[in-house]
Amino acid sequence: MNEQMLHIENTLFTVVMILYFAAMIFYFLFIAARKEGLARLATCLQAVGWVLHTCALVSRGIGAGRLPMTNQYEFATSFAWGICLVSLVFILRFSFPVLGAFASPVMFVIIGYAAMQSREVHELMPALRSNWLGFHVSTAIIAYGSFGVSFVLSVIFLLRDRMTGRGFLDRHIPDRGKLDIISYRSIALGLLFLTFTIVTGAIWAERAWGSYWSWDPKETWSLVTWIIYSVYLHLRIRKGTEGRAAAVFAVIGFICVLFTYIGVNTFLPGIHSYA
Amino acid sequence: MQMMKKIGRFLSSMQFAVILLVILAATCSAGSFIPQGQSYEWYAAQYSERTAALIRWLYLDDAFHSWWFVLISAFLCLNLLLCNLLRFPQLVRRCRREADPAQFFGGLAADGIADPGVFFAAMHFSGPKPAVTREGRERLFARRNLAGLWGAWTCHLGILLLIAGFSLGQLTKKEYTVYGVPGQTRQIGDTAFFLTIDDFTVGLREDDTVSQYTAEITVTEDPERSGRSEARRESAEISVNHPASLFGMKYYQNSTGWAAKVHITQNGQDLQDVVLCAGEYVPVENKPELVILLNAFYPDYVKDEGGMPKTASGQLRNPAYLYTVYYQGSVLGMNVLLQEEELTIDDYVVTFSEPQNYTLIQIKKDSFISLALAGGLLTMLGLFLAFYLLPAKACAEKAEDGSWRVTAEGSKGGAIFREQFLEAVRKAGGTAGVADRAEETEPTEKTGEAEETESTKKTVEAEVAESTKKTVRPK
Repeated sequence: MNEQMLHIENTLFTVVMILYFAAMIFYFLFIAARKEGLARLATCLQAVGWVLHTCALVSRGIGAGRLPMTNQYEFATSFAWGICLVSLVFILRFSFPVLGAFASPVMFVIIGYAAMQSREVHELMPALRSNWLGFHVSTAIIAYGSFGVSFVLSVIFLLRDRMTGRGFLDRHIPDRGKLDIISYRSIALGLLFLTFTIVTGAIWAERAWGSYWSWDPKETWSLVTWIIYSVYLHLRIRKGTEGRAAAVFAVIGFICVLFTYIGVNTFLPGIHSYA
Repeated sequence: MQMMKKIGRFLSSMQFAVILLVILAATCSAGSFIPQGQSYEWYAAQYSERTAALIRWLYLDDAFHSWWFVLISAFLCLNLLLCNLLRFPQLVRRCRREADPAQFFGGLAADGIADPGVFFAAMHFSGPKPAVTREGRERLFARRNLAGLWGAWTCHLGILLLIAGFSLGQLTKKEYTVYGVPGQTRQIGDTAFFLTIDDFTVGLREDDTVSQYTAEITVTEDPERSGRSEARRESAEISVNHPASLFGMKYYQNSTGWAAKVHITQNGQDLQDVVLCAGEYVPVENKPELVILLNAFYPDYVKDEGGMPKTASGQLRNPAYLYTVYYQGSVLGMNVLLQEEELTIDDYVVTFSEPQNYTLIQIKKDSFISLALAGGLLTMLGLFLAFYLLPAKACAEKAEDGSWRVTAEGSKGGAIFREQFLEAVRKAGGTAGVADRAEETEPTEKTGEAEETESTKKTVEAEVAESTKKTVRPK
């Protein structure tokens, strides 16, 4: 264990929290003051925050001598990192800074949750000492990050009519068709990675526990999440729903994601109880 | 007949799939909230008599193996199977049509393109090829990602194989557990194989945490039971995350616990020596109604605040044994015995010694695991095809004034594909834009999850025309 690197991680984590908070404030100011420069500043702060967040995770990895993906703190901070990354990509790809105003509070709440967890570094139990850990958890981070962004997009989709009608927001919030497509892209990324997570987890479970599917609460809720997003995909192509029902399922899907991550560990302990 | 067709159509429909998926999600979540496999009394104590009765009546105590859960899964398989069977010829026809330049109908269109090469490059089409329409007009044609049309179909096939592999595995798999300390040999269930634990080590780190459990095992086939002329033997080392395959079965280092040697004397004469794992019992050899049970072992024995035994660490610092003595089925006594201490029962003396770790090895044979794995991999492939190989095609036709008219169609992507088209038209110096999909597009079959929405399609024409006018500047 490298104490110095863990100390660096600790400092970086605090800086990242401040940067994410500042980004959130500037995104809000962008909407309140209707100045596009503030959105650019907020995006820059978010980007710098993400780079430092990456450095923090690397420092923790070096400090702990393993991948930083094995307890509530490590997964929560990685989850926030994933949402930050995916939202940045979507903000820049689709020139959509309003997304940042909705994504940054989610990011901040999750990194805040991470801050409340124990940051102690423990040695890995034998079941976790596997190369599959990296594949399984890193794909979950991208999946959860994407679902976080799709949740935000679906909320914007559902609230769009109430928010628009004022010239400034009309210019910065895409029409329903485009919002639907962006949300779909985010869920597509999330579902693909969630499938990777479930399949790699099953392969790993078969090697570690002798059973690739045991109906453990974590497994079951990952499946429930997968099913909810599958329903989203089917509803989305159904005539007449105009994306609203699908957006509602995208919101339910993210609630399932949060329950899989936090709720299962709190209320339904199982063989994944360390995660 | 009409009725049968209606039923068939419903069973293969997307609505039915959505209903099944929602029921499946609801039952899975219920199954995760209600502890599985408990007795009626347990549920009654936890909840209430009425709730316990309801749980039993709905089979929620074993939700994932209940008849209705199996029925829902079977209907889902039927739905996927029918859906894929019906869509297969449609997809083949569609692929043929999509690949045929003579059958291009176009969705988005723009005129006045000076250099079609720039347009194709901006749309990420490589190598447009010359083609001739049915009317004999010459055009440049390019298409990409035809395989994307098969995404949903492949994903459905994968799920089908996954469910089939899992279900067949559950029905046919053989599973055994064998536990013991080094030197012990035990039969594997009712098979012809015997497992010998050659060695078992618990790897400890400096901070006393366990780094790995490793067992060396030998499996021997009994020629009498197998009918072979000679005994076959295979050995392997197994540890957590590193199972081994011997004689077609897989061996997993599952868990561990403590065992100890029980020494019984009678009137000072050695009577019995046996190794017991925690939880095991032994009847006294010449007095079988007297039974010694080793309940638990504490390597570093201390008492908690309530006076109950517990261990302070995993190190062998103060070994102690919790035992129960039964006589004719009734408890005679229960207590903790320290190392070297003796337990006297009439003329018998019992001592516990030589504590050591035992290993529990799980042995499994699941012939359908590869099928389930193939299903999982196909599901991933299908999703990748559906989400990231977006089928699209475009063509360019020379107009009388020497400029080019370009048309493009993306079966997925909606508004984003439209924006990409407009950007490509702008780069290629387009002079005007039109969207003429309603006139030129042939009705297409729905191909699953990744299709653009009906609502998006409806708005394409008006929006493209409008946005094209806004963004495309005359050269």
